[in-house]
Order: sequence, then structure tokens, then C-alpha cells
Amino acid sequence: MRKSLITKLDFPLLLLIAILLAVGLTAVYSATNVPGLQNNEYFPKQLTFTIIGLIIMLAIAFLPFKVLQRSAYTLYGFSIFLLILVFFIGVKGFGAERWLSFGPIKIQPSEFAKLAAILAAAKYLSKQGVDINNFRHIISVSAIIIIPFILVVRQPDLGTSLVFLAIFIPLMFWAGLSWFTLFVIIAPMFTCILSFNFYAFLFWMLIVSIVLILSHRKVYFLITIFLIHILVGLLTPQMWDQLRPYQQKRIMTFADPEADPKGTGYQIIQSRVAIGSGGIWGKGFLQGTQTQLKFLPAQHTDFIFSVIGEEWGLVGVLFILSIFLALLLYLIYLARIVRSSFSSISIIGITTILLFHVFINIGMTVGLAPVTGIPLPFISYGGSFLISILIMMGFIINFSINRYEY
Amino acid sequence: MNKIDKTVLYNRSLIFSGFIFLIYVFLIYGFVRLQVTNKEIYLQKSINNSIRKIQLYPGRGLIRDQDGDILVDNRPSFSIAVIPKVASNKSVKFLCKLINLDEKEVKDKIRKLYGFRPVIIARDINYKQVIAIEENRLKHPGVISIVEPKRYYPEGIMSPHIFGATGEVSKAEQIMNTVYEQGDIIGKTGLEKKYDLDLRGSKGIHYLRVDASGRELGTYDINRDVSPIHGSDLHLYLDYETQQFAESLMVGQRGALVAIDVRNGGIISLVSKPDFDPRILTGRIYPAIWNKLQTDESHPLYSRAIQSVYPPGSTYKIVAAAAALQEKIITPRWKEYCPGYFRLGRKTIKCWKVKGHGLIDLNEAIKGSCNVYFLKIGLKIGIDIWTKYSRMFGFGARTGIDLPNESKGLVPSTEYFNKRYPKGWTRGNLANLAIGQGELLVTPLQLAQFAMILANKGVYHTPHLVDHIYNYSTHSTTKFPVDTKYITGISDDVYYVVREGMRAVVNGGTGWLGKVPGIEMAGKTGSAQNPHGDTHAWFMAFAPYDFPEVAIAVVVENAGAGGGVAAPIARKFLEKYFYNRLIPRAVAKKDTTDQINADSLTIPFDFNEIQPIQLFNAGENEDQ
Repeated sequence: MRKSLITKLDFPLLLLIAILLAVGLTAVYSATNVPGLQNNEYFPKQLTFTIIGLIIMLAIAFLPFKVLQRSAYTLYGFSIFLLILVFFIGVKGFGAERWLSFGPIKIQPSEFAKLAAILAAAKYLSKQGVDINNFRHIISVSAIIIIPFILVVRQPDLGTSLVFLAIFIPLMFWAGLSWFTLFVIIAPMFTCILSFNFYAFLFWMLIVSIVLILSHRKVYFLITIFLIHILVGLLTPQMWDQLRPYQQKRIMTFADPEADPKGTGYQIIQSRVAIGSGGIWGKGFLQGTQTQLKFLPAQHTDFIFSVIGEEWGLVGVLFILSIFLALLLYLIYLARIVRSSFSSISIIGITTILLFHVFINIGMTVGLAPVTGIPLPFISYGGSFLISILIMMGFIINFSINRYEY
Repeated sequence: MNKIDKTVLYNRSLIFSGFIFLIYVFLIYGFVRLQVTNKEIYLQKSINNSIRKIQLYPGRGLIRDQDGDILVDNRPSFSIAVIPKVASNKSVKFLCKLINLDEKEVKDKIRKLYGFRPVIIARDINYKQVIAIEENRLKHPGVISIVEPKRYYPEGIMSPHIFGATGEVSKAEQIMNTVYEQGDIIGKTGLEKKYDLDLRGSKGIHYLRVDASGRELGTYDINRDVSPIHGSDLHLYLDYETQQFAESLMVGQRGALVAIDVRNGGIISLVSKPDFDPRILTGRIYPAIWNKLQTDESHPLYSRAIQSVYPPGSTYKIVAAAAALQEKIITPRWKEYCPGYFRLGRKTIKCWKVKGHGLIDLNEAIKGSCNVYFLKIGLKIGIDIWTKYSRMFGFGARTGIDLPNESKGLVPSTEYFNKRYPKGWTRGNLANLAIGQGELLVTPLQLAQFAMILANKGVYHTPHLVDHIYNYSTHSTTKFPVDTKYITGISDDVYYVVREGMRAVVNGGTGWLGKVPGIEMAGKTGSAQNPHGDTHAWFMAFAPYDFPEVAIAVVVENAGAGGGVAAPIARKFLEKYFYNRLIPRAVAKKDTTDQINADSLTIPFDFNEIQPIQLFNAGENEDQ
């Protein structure tokens, strides 16, 4: 039995994970290397986290599939409890309450809440008789995701909270959302963005009206949706003022990093310099001047990809991007072939988290995405995040092993 | 999947993959743009990030006298600099508190700069402040101290008007000369300004590797470093002992003394009093002292020798005499009667001698400095000739001495008078000019140059302080290019007559107090009336008569008669020059020019009576 379990393990997936972890450890070593100083405290720590994470991952992989399925709501409830707990006994880090500390162990409940939300949503959507295009069910799924989102936003951890929004639509889409419902859900987001400009907002409202009229739904339903748009459009500028100044600054600096070269823009500028100066072949391991002379801020956490860009060049960047691509495509393939719709939807949720992290983090280092404090999966330094990612992988391996179960 | 159709799922996975593909195209575009298209720009930026250029300041060239003695030297001083990229607001606050600066001003200075090049905020700070900065080096890495040379004057050296002062380059000066970088110390006045490009040398560069906190990690590449080149030394023509003596002669006076070597135009002495201690304009300048210097009613900052203009008084009669002779308007024999006054229209102009000079010829008129005689000459020659000869003798134009801010003086012409007096001007204006009064204005240097022209009978050289420049990088000496000029159109006969007249001036004439025993010489006194009070005392002379070496001009403001005040100063200077000591005189004699007795004019002196005298009191400070 035991032997057959091991043979059932998803080796292609394990290989991809192993490569990414190795890359991550190397990059962390380089980013935290102090020339002339032998004891690098970051690398052994990260190595320990990696090993712990791998053990947890394998432990989850070998759990009975039914246990995972049944514990979805329990996990969700527990993670919500932790998120609330954070408000009372949380530890401040970077101006936000994000950490729970139990003795020497510090965890970030928001990292685990992501997975719990996905599992709970997947469980709900895979229930017999749930029609995703039904308004009542949409509200239920939304609630599952919005509750942890609000709790994380209040921490206030803008970056992590965005992840919850990001998984929402792919999950529903995968679960069979119709194109019209998709439009109804996505449209308010555009309304949000366009509400800052009156004419753009007016034009967008025109498009929304046309789509609504062409859909031939009940009139009161259409009017309600239209009114929601108007309301969103009016409230968004108010919400903007509610954001913390540093959050506003991050979003504004994204548009023009040169405007504040000493403050927020410093990170983006230095990151661009690091990556750009790496060229095609890179400066070589431990040879990046931006990295080794500590010009990069947060170079072992959020900006670790700049280290890779500088020291390994475009070649290294493309290599790592292709490993991520392989991983993402493989996960989508898995989502398609597993029999259980709970597994399938969960895998898509996790895939979305990975894609969101990869895109925002890497995009941020080259100045194509805002600086939101989102780490790079498998590679960034940080135990809580690494372990949470490996736990997700553990679930996926479990789903892969049990791909023929319903 | 129990609910969703397999083909639907397949389509949706394709949509997902397509979405991922789009994101990848976007990301890869970002990397290619940075790492392939703009690689060089970012590579350069990363080098600039980690390599800091340290400027190595060269020693400013020294100023030495004829013997090579150092007159202006350098000493180290400490400056505070801020590295804009590293300095935090807290550091700037700390710095401002330490040396009592306006925080806003400092921030303005570094606002637009993000580099690692240190910007100097304050100069010449004291040792306590240096220690405070070094102690807080780790806490405030953006604030550093820099050693820079500052000017140092050995004991006994004054002459601020010759050397001038240095100071931080201004915005306007930076625009005028692109060699200057912000924070550079450049010459502001005097020789320091005129020869700044020689004196400043060139800066060196030392490349240092630094990390993001600004910590120095060591040298970058020793082969890229550039050593600073010491500025060239100026060797002056003057001997500072003579200059010191000349300055001592003028202590307590307002005025100037200019002595030129007539053989090559080299300045032997250039004195302007009152002056100030050049040390107060080195390093940190205290606003209170600076304001005191600027508002002092005796204008110590002003170099009277080259910047002040005065009416030349009777010394200018030589110009009128030369013009009249050359134009054949008069002959040396031409005689005129001086009754002691001269009536011109309704005005009566008095001769300085109330009793009158009687019937005199040109030689006697020069010797006795008769106003009536020269008023008549002035009326005869007319303004155009007078202007022409004034210009020929170098008046109304800069002499071209190697000092900045020289004045031109003023030689009025017909056009000038027409402009100045639109209602018409009288012959009185013209007559006034002939005796060196009225609108005419000259600098002491111009008058000394005029004495040089008379000494050399038309040949003269551009006055210059610098004899040669020593270049440290080529180890070569460059001589000052002496510009020798000649006045055409004045015959030797004319020179002979006026020179004889001037010889008579010091031999029993108005300038007899200017005569150096044992040296044949020529001179001319002047007492220029002016609206500020007593007459300005003038004396110009050259010596020896036959083979001249020195031309000298002395002016003492509002001191009285030239013969009584200026001539003795010139005499003492020439005695020092020719004998290297002063020659004591018999009792001062009353001017006896009206009963000329050739025998009485030889002043008796006994060589045994000559005593060594103290020439100069080095510690004395006449400003106080």
C-alpha cells in the first residue's frame, strides 16, 4: 500500500517544485550574503523552513482525500478565527498587524486564509444542486471570499487582500459561470477604475446599459444592476480617501516612480537598475553590485527577482519564468483531468494565487505592476509564506494522487 | 467532474492558458526592454551607484616675490559636506544645529541632487565641530568632513589689494566659465582673480567603492584615479621688503603709491591705504567684519592705486607743455608774466603764489608750477590738441596692469563737453584742464605710467606685477610677456625740455623735498583741488635722470600740497630703493623758490650722521 502510494506521487509536479525551491534558496543566499562575513543567518533559516514545508506538504499529500474534502469548512472557520485573533494579539510588522506569534513560531493567518477560502468555496460550488449562475449562490460564494478579504484589508494588508479578489472570478468561471453573469460581476471593477474620470465613467455607463438591454433579462433586475454601478461610481473616490497614505502612495508611485526617487520610487528605480544592468547573461552569482552592496531594498523578500535579474541575466529570468509557466500549465491540466469538482475548483484557485503572485511580484520588479508587498512563491525569503505555498502544493499532490475519486 | 461538460472545461482551460500567455508576453517585454534594449544605461547607473568619485583638491598656486619668498601660502581647513543621496532629514537637522545654519537653505542646496558627490555646506569649521561630525559618522553617514586648502599669509604680509581674496564660486561665475563646478574656491579679486586659471591647478579624482549606506569599501580601480595638479606659482616682480617699506610710508594716510621699473614695466610697489588684513577674507568670513569693511567710510576694500580716480592737478601741466611744444604753439623761450592771478571773462583764477611768479619762461613755469602760465598755454592749444595728447600719454584708458577692475579715468573731449554742457561750455573749462583740474580724472597708476613715458622718452611697457609663472606639471617657467610700446609723434627735443623742467622741480622747485641726495632725478608736484576738502597731494618722479630705473607716483588724499606731503614720501621710497636706507636730512627748509639760489639748493648732509632706522613695524595694524 505504502509503496503504491509513493509511485502514485506526482513526480513532474514535485520536480518543478524542487527546481523552484533550489532557485529560491540560491537567490536568498546571494541576496543576504554579506561580503567578508561568514555567518549568514537567513540562508539556514530558509533552508529549515523549506524542509519543514516539504514535510508538511508530503504529510498533506498522503492524507485521505475524504478528510480534506470534509475538513474544508472547518479549516475555513479556523482561519477566520485566526484572522479575528490577529486584531487582538497580532504583532505589528511594517505598520500593519499581520502576525500571530506562538512562542518562537510566528505565522501570518492571512496566508492560510487564502487556501481555506479556496477550499470552502470549492466545497460549496461542488455541492450537488448548486447552480453558480443563480443569484443566491453567487452571493454565498462571494460571502465566503469577501469575509476574509475584509478582515485582511483591515489589518491593513493591501497586497494579500488583493489575492482574495483575484481568485474570486477564476473560481466562479471555472465552476461554470455564464458569460453574462461574468460581465455583471466584472463590470463594477471597471466602474471603480473609471469613476475617477467623469467622461470615461459616462462612456462606460453607456456600454453597460447597452449590454444590459441586449441581455433580455427582467427589467427590475437590470435596473438594480445599473443602480449598483452608479453607486459604485460615486463611492469609489470616497473609498480612495479611506486608504492609508502609504497605500495611496504605492499606487501613485506605480504610475510615476521617478516622481519620488528618494521615497517610494526608490525601490522601483533600484530594482530596474539591478535588472537592467544584468543584461542577457547576468553579472554572475554573488557578483551583482546592486545586490551585494544592498542598493536593493527588500531584496531577499519582495524584490528577490531583481537579484535573479541582476546576477543571472535575461537567461536566468527566462529559465525561471518557464519553470513557473510549466507549473501553471500543468496545474490547469490537472484541474481539467481530476474527477472531483472540489479538487478541480481548488486547483484552479491555487493556480490563480500562484499566477497572481508571479505576475504582480515579477511585474513589480520591472515596473509593470504596483509595489504591493506580494512575495514570489517558492523563492522569496519568509517562512510563513513558503510553508503556506507548500501546504497548497500538498493539497494539489493529494488531489493528483486521488484524481480518479469523486 | 460531475456537473460540467468536459468540452466546456477544455475550452475554459484554453482561455486560462491564453490569459497566462498574455501575462507572460507582458512580463517578457518588460525584461527585454530593461536587459537588452536599455542595458547600457542601467549598467552605467549601477556603476554610478556603487562608485563614488572623491575629488582631490589641488594645492592652489603660491604667490612669491622676486626672491622666491612665499607671500601667499596654503593651510588645511575643514569643510562640512553632505552626500545628498545618503543624508536623511535627521542628519541635515543635526548638521544645522551643530554649525548653526538655516535648515531650509541647506535643504535647498541639496534638493535637486541625488548623487553621491558630496556637496560642501560650510567651510573652515572649527576643530570641535570636526570632532562632533566624525563622532557621529555612523549615526549620520551622509554628513562628512573634507579637508580643503585655504589661503595663508605668512607673518608681516599685507597688501590685500595686490593678492586679492578667494571665495566660493557664484552661479554667475559658473555660467561665465564652465570650468568652475559648484563649491569651487576661486579668486574673487586681485591677482587671485586675474590668474585664477593658473593658480587653481586641476582637481584629481579618486574612485571609491561604496555600498548603499554610503560606507566606503575601498578603492575601485587605482588606474582610473587622476592625481590633482598643483596650481602654478606666481613670482612677482616686486621685492616684498620694498613693498612693505612703501606700505609703511603710507600708514595712516589715505592714498596710493605706485612705483614702476621703467625698464620693463614691472611693478616695484603698489600701495593703497587704508587697507585691511587679508587674513580676514580667508576661510570663513564673518558677516560682521565683512559688513564693517564694506560700510567703512574710508573704503579699505577699494584699491586706490588702480581703481580710484583723482584730478591730477599740476602734475598734468607736463602734458600741456609737451602738447604746446610739439605742436609748435610755443617755444621753450616763450615768456609770460604772472601777476598772481589770471582773469578769464568775469572769473579770476588765482595762481597758488599770491605775489605772482613774474616774467617766466617754460622751464621756470614748470619749476614753479605757475598756474597763470599754463592757463594761457591751455587757451592757446585748445581742447582737441589737449585731448589728443592726453590720450597719447595713456590717460583715459586702462594701462592693462594684470589686476582686475582697473579704472579708465576720464579725459574729456569736445563731444564730452558738448554732451555735459548742452548750453555751451566756456574757455574756463579748457583752461582748468590744462592745469589738471576740472573734469579730468586719472588713476595713480596712470600717472606712474606717465612718469615712465617721460623717463624713457616715449617708450613704455604695460605695468605688470607678475614676473613669471612656474608650472608644477611641466616644471617650466613662463615669463610674463612684456608689452613694450612707443609714443610716436613727440620729438626728443620736447622730452628734453619738459624733463629739464621736471629736473628743476626737484632741484629747488616745488618738489625739492622729493630730491634724493646723490641721485639726479626729475619730478612734478600737484595739489589737486577737489570737492571733498583739502587738496590731494600729488607727486610723480623718475630717477636716475640719465638712465632711469624707477618711475613713481604718490597721491595722498586731502593732505595739502604735493610738494610738502607727497614728495617726501616718494623721496623716502627712492632712498630705500637706491640706498636701502633712509638718509636723514638737515632741518626742513622753507620753500624759497622765489629767490632761487643755486648754491642753497644742494642740501648738505654728513654721511657720518646716517643712522640705521627701523623701516617697518610688522605688527602694526593701521585699521584700528
